[in-house]
Amino acid sequence: MKNIFLLTALYFAVTACTLDKTDYLAEISTIVTEHNEFKEVAVINGDEYKVTLLALNGTLYKGYNEIRVQITNSRTDGSENISGATLLPVMSTADGSRASCPHRYDLIYIPDENYFSGYTVFTHESSISENWELNISYTIAGRSHTVKQSVSVQPQPNKNLNMTAFTGNDDERYIIALVSPQKPKVAENELVAGLYRFTGNSTDSLQNAYSEVNGYTLQLDPRMPEPSMGNHSSPNNRDLTQGENGLYHGVVNYTMTGNWTLNFILLNQNGKIVKGTRVPLDFTPGVEGKKSELYIDILF
Amino acid sequence: MKKIYGIISFLFLGINAIAQDSTIALKEVTVMARAKKKIETEMKMAVTVDEFLASSDQISFIKRGAYAWEPMLNNMSTERSVITIDGMHIFGACTDKMDPVTSYVESNNLSTIDIKSGQEGSLHGATVAGSIDLRRKNTPFSTESKWGGAYQTGLEFNNKQFFNLGNVSYSSERFVADGSVSFRQAGNYTDGNRAEVKHSQYNKFNSSLGLAYKIRPLSSVRLDAILDIAKDVGYPALPMDLWLSRALITSASYKQLSENGLIRVWDTKLYFNAVEHYMDDTQRPENLVHMDMPGWSTTYGLVSRANMIAGSINSEIQLNTYSNLSIAEMRMYPQDRSQRTMFAYSWPWVTTRFASIAMTNSWDISGKSRLNFGGSLGYNYNFSQYTEFNWIFHPGAPREKSRILPALHAGYQFNTNNFDLSAGAGYGHRAPSVSEAYGYYIYNSFDRYDYIGNPDLKNEISWEVNASAGFKTDKAGIEARVNNFYIRNYIIGRILSLGSPMNYQSVGVKGYTSLSHARIFNVAVNARYDLLPHLHWKGGLTYARATDNKGGNLPFIRPVSYQSSIHFMYKKMSFQTSVNGDFIQRNYSPEYGEDQTADYWVWNASADYTFRLKNISTVLQVGAENLLDAWYSTYADWGNIPRMGRNIFTSLKFSL
Repeated sequence: MKNIFLLTALYFAVTACTLDKTDYLAEISTIVTEHNEFKEVAVINGDEYKVTLLALNGTLYKGYNEIRVQITNSRTDGSENISGATLLPVMSTADGSRASCPHRYDLIYIPDENYFSGYTVFTHESSISENWELNISYTIAGRSHTVKQSVSVQPQPNKNLNMTAFTGNDDERYIIALVSPQKPKVAENELVAGLYRFTGNSTDSLQNAYSEVNGYTLQLDPRMPEPSMGNHSSPNNRDLTQGENGLYHGVVNYTMTGNWTLNFILLNQNGKIVKGTRVPLDFTPGVEGKKSELYIDILF
Repeated sequence: MKKIYGIISFLFLGINAIAQDSTIALKEVTVMARAKKKIETEMKMAVTVDEFLASSDQISFIKRGAYAWEPMLNNMSTERSVITIDGMHIFGACTDKMDPVTSYVESNNLSTIDIKSGQEGSLHGATVAGSIDLRRKNTPFSTESKWGGAYQTGLEFNNKQFFNLGNVSYSSERFVADGSVSFRQAGNYTDGNRAEVKHSQYNKFNSSLGLAYKIRPLSSVRLDAILDIAKDVGYPALPMDLWLSRALITSASYKQLSENGLIRVWDTKLYFNAVEHYMDDTQRPENLVHMDMPGWSTTYGLVSRANMIAGSINSEIQLNTYSNLSIAEMRMYPQDRSQRTMFAYSWPWVTTRFASIAMTNSWDISGKSRLNFGGSLGYNYNFSQYTEFNWIFHPGAPREKSRILPALHAGYQFNTNNFDLSAGAGYGHRAPSVSEAYGYYIYNSFDRYDYIGNPDLKNEISWEVNASAGFKTDKAGIEARVNNFYIRNYIIGRILSLGSPMNYQSVGVKGYTSLSHARIFNVAVNARYDLLPHLHWKGGLTYARATDNKGGNLPFIRPVSYQSSIHFMYKKMSFQTSVNGDFIQRNYSPEYGEDQTADYWVWNASADYTFRLKNISTVLQVGAENLLDAWYSTYADWGNIPRMGRNIFTSLKFSL
């Protein structure tokens, strides 16, 4: 009996692998934490109504944030007859100027789950000199209510949700903000981004300071910038075009984990280049990959 | 021809075992002993498994260095052949084919290697080229307790190879044990210009143990294990070496014999083997990027065979099932080590499950003619755990794939005292290999492309005809064998216009695709002549031609090759000398990364002396390969690395 036990132990000792296999799913998670759950950012108790502000992980980050607003009657917990909810983010700086950022002003009511849906793309993190405040308005029985909440905008630790702001060849100011994937895989990934133009020059109202850009095309060329990767790219990528929800959708393939650069060329409705340059296509081992004028770095 | 040999040996194996048990005449036993080929060549008695296989005219080799050559059967690579150890399936764990199955055994634990050409090999699994079955030593039960054993040691001077091979066996009426241990240690070899070929060293340890116990007069159980460890093996033709490869090959079998009735032998074996393979590129300062490429291959399975005799028909039925999991990772380290490493799977956890039922029959129509026929029906299932890797190049490719793999073959043989004639035909499917279907950026240093698998590849379908003719007398003989394969959906890598290489040495990306068809034609002529009672001549010539669907050449096809040897015996000494070479490679394939290889010939000679030390038979051998120190590289030397220059070898063997 003892011998059998010893033999079994020996057998497992010999069959055990010398090196451990990589836990691939854990491997991706070491760099990227995925947030799927909407949590409370703030609860604002108004005169009769309670306004709950929700975002992924209960935190607002620089870049694209999906926002949910729940408005409930403080006494009855009901939320009947509420309409016309709006959201306006406002950044005030030390010198007293006020600015906004790309956002959805008129929130969309989602009846199934009873919340108002919107987004904001914070252009700056909160700092001593830059403070963000959210203005939420809603109408009940013809009466308008407004609440204000100062919020903290944190740096985005996930590079896959990076954003970039730039001035195009048409002298307009644009913002591209990555929306998804939060946690890419070595795979075909649907790439979603928001594209916004600064229109604050032509209007004084903060709510119209930015507008969604329609009908443009974002040409995509993903590359690994690491010198040893020699400007490696991937096949079967698709340029980003605008979908029904206003966001731009494309496909990016990541062939391995690591640093990637999403090189973009932004074209307007007429196919004219607004920003971006072609990157070399050749394989150049040992040389750091050249980037387009317009790019966003990601990492997973 | 091989077929008959196979069936006869199976038959005799059975009878052999029965003879032990029921003391039938000993005649068959001695016939069997003679029929068994020893693992040694004419030139050399202490050979590696690779060197032994190379002595078959059906086998050629792709060589990436001095170790672990990839055997090509009928000029087809290992994906197209079934390589088994005692019928057990085992798969290498290296995506670069640095560890063919033949690298996990050693000559002192093998009794014979059974090569079957084309669909005759489908008994062991779906194949196109044929099968190579490495048979382990398997001492029969004996009426009295007996010890046996051999010890062999030697030196090869070119690469300072020092080897020690030992094996012992014990047999009694109810219990048999076989054991072997071997060590080989070799440094870098030098080519014909006396230049050292760096990174061509190797170290190999192999041991095996087999225990058999007779539970009833006609039935026995047997446990077998092989442990093989290779460390610090250089691959001069590759940008990396091997740090460690380890294989554990285990099996448990049950054998039931019967003296009469339909089923004479029934042998069932459960097996498990685990292979791990870790590459190492840290010895190559020229490498721009450090990479780890570990691989694992685990297989378990069952093989059950029955031998049946009904009148003049001998049949063998074999059931094969196995499940294999192949995993290979690559991790690249950025130049700035503080940066994130880059990771991908080159085999994304691919499971292969296979089951087949195969039968082969031999019908003695008359004393002179015989019909061999058989077939198999196989089921192959693949599952890719991380199929998203495959989707990058093949969006939407299925995660799972099932295939039905049928095979049929028939052959007719006619033998008289002087003439042998045979003709046969075969038809069979094979499934793509793990690399061909699911491989991901597998760097091939021969054509310097990264290879991408395609899960949707069609079955490769082979149509084959073969024939042979021979004439022999007591003093001389000549035999010609020819076969022709027409292979539909021939799988090969073609340049992809999309994607860019991942490995920094590579120049582009190739995807495995199917050519509409390819043809492979092989012919071999062998002759012998006994000049004097103790002076024998042997010679052989092979020719092969292989073309793709457009008439272009396929790669790795052996040019015209020849060998000629003389063997002379005088008292207890024997001398042998041989010449072998290839003609210039006319039909090379630039499209698949080949350049023309020049002709070469090498001259070898050896002498041995047999004597007895008490009751121990002892053989001393001294010889030299490539006596004239020719500098040469063959058509299948990866990266045109030169072969070994003059190599003086000595060995001493004691056997009980």
